[in-house]
Amino acid sequence: MDWILDFYNFRVVAQYIPDFARGLGSTAWISLLALVISLSVGTVVAIMRMSANQLLWRPAAAYVQAIRSTPLLIQIYVIYFTLPALPLLGRRLDELEGGIIALGLNAGAYMSEIIRAGIESISRGQVEGAQSVGMTYLQRMRYVVLPQAIARVAPTLLGQTAVLIKDSSLVSFIGVFELFGAGLLVYNERLMPNEGYLTVAACYLAIYAVMLSLTGYAQRRLGGTAG
Amino acid sequence: MIDVILSTMPFLLEGLWMTFKISLITIFFGSLIGTVVGMLRTLDYALITYPLGAYIHALRGTPFLIHLYFVYFMLPATGISWLQLEAFPAAVIALSLYTSTYVAEIVRGAIEAVPRGQSEAARSTGMTALQTMWYVVLPQAMKLMIPPMGGVYVIIIKGTSIVSVIGIAELVRAGEHATQRHPRELMLIYGMTAMMYFAYCYPVLRLARWAEAKFGSVRLPS
Repeated sequence: MDWILDFYNFRVVAQYIPDFARGLGSTAWISLLALVISLSVGTVVAIMRMSANQLLWRPAAAYVQAIRSTPLLIQIYVIYFTLPALPLLGRRLDELEGGIIALGLNAGAYMSEIIRAGIESISRGQVEGAQSVGMTYLQRMRYVVLPQAIARVAPTLLGQTAVLIKDSSLVSFIGVFELFGAGLLVYNERLMPNEGYLTVAACYLAIYAVMLSLTGYAQRRLGGTAG
Repeated sequence: MIDVILSTMPFLLEGLWMTFKISLITIFFGSLIGTVVGMLRTLDYALITYPLGAYIHALRGTPFLIHLYFVYFMLPATGISWLQLEAFPAAVIALSLYTSTYVAEIVRGAIEAVPRGQSEAARSTGMTALQTMWYVVLPQAMKLMIPPMGGVYVIIIKGTSIVSVIGIAELVRAGEHATQRHPRELMLIYGMTAMMYFAYCYPVLRLARWAEAKFGSVRLPS
């Protein structure tokens, strides 16, 4: 019994359950908000990239390349440390807002690539059919192309969401309290790395397992391709 | 502004050199471990494939930050003397393990993409399983592995930014130090840091895309 307590003292972990729960909730919220940003940005950027207009596809391509070629950590630093006071907000972003926006913009680039692949997989006849019944470009996108495209790549989008959740651990670098921060707290207060980090790892694994089964479900349900 | 650029450039370049070194060592060891794991996973032998599947899922399901802290903080806490790692080997080991999961999936995907008839034909001419792998399957699978490996290399380069947290003087760390000397030039310094990553990663991504057009590709796991 003693060697277990030596390796992993669950009594200490039990004391910190409220902190782990708070961290887990925070990670969930951060990921959810970043996911909303990334899907909105990703959809817009994907459509822009497929446009014939240079003024649309060039900035979109530059955004995707810039995000894919730099580490998330630097993106978080640039957005949190270097953005001046925003005009509408009247102040600078706090660490939570900066972290969420950086995460969302980062994932947005990857999401846009996935969504673009989905849109490109929709057959030409679908678009022509929609055109022939007199739909405008926006109507075609909204009612014909996007619903099919998103359904087709839903499993891949879920896989990218799992990556997003893992990546959210990096916002702890700018002082946001989330799941990883809860592990840091245990380590800093008790100097017990196993109790802190193994617990956090278990929580992340649990989230991953949920995401994995969701991906499998989406795949069976929508018949898309594996991520 | 020019004098800030000139005075911080040497330090940032030193950081870039460290990033370069770590990523090169990591792609070597990560590919080595990943290739072995990936090839073993194609075997039809549950006693091997299940534990390796668990290894891949365990690393895939947790952030790299956890792997790094595991190697740097938790292994030394076991009290075993040869697990007391310095920051540099700890960073390389953690990154290599992380990389190996991507490589393993690519290797497995590529091997499975080679039509079964190829290995059946090789076996029927009397080749052993190893000969079949070495002379028939691998040469064909290799071509499919090249393009996604470019993506893995970029993942490693971006991953090295995180090892700054255990005190390795790579590019992000060099940038942080520079901002302490010039606290008013945050945007410039982090901008320069980002540009250096871009200069390193973008050509690799372009190369990967060129290779994909030339050789075709297996699906890169996300």
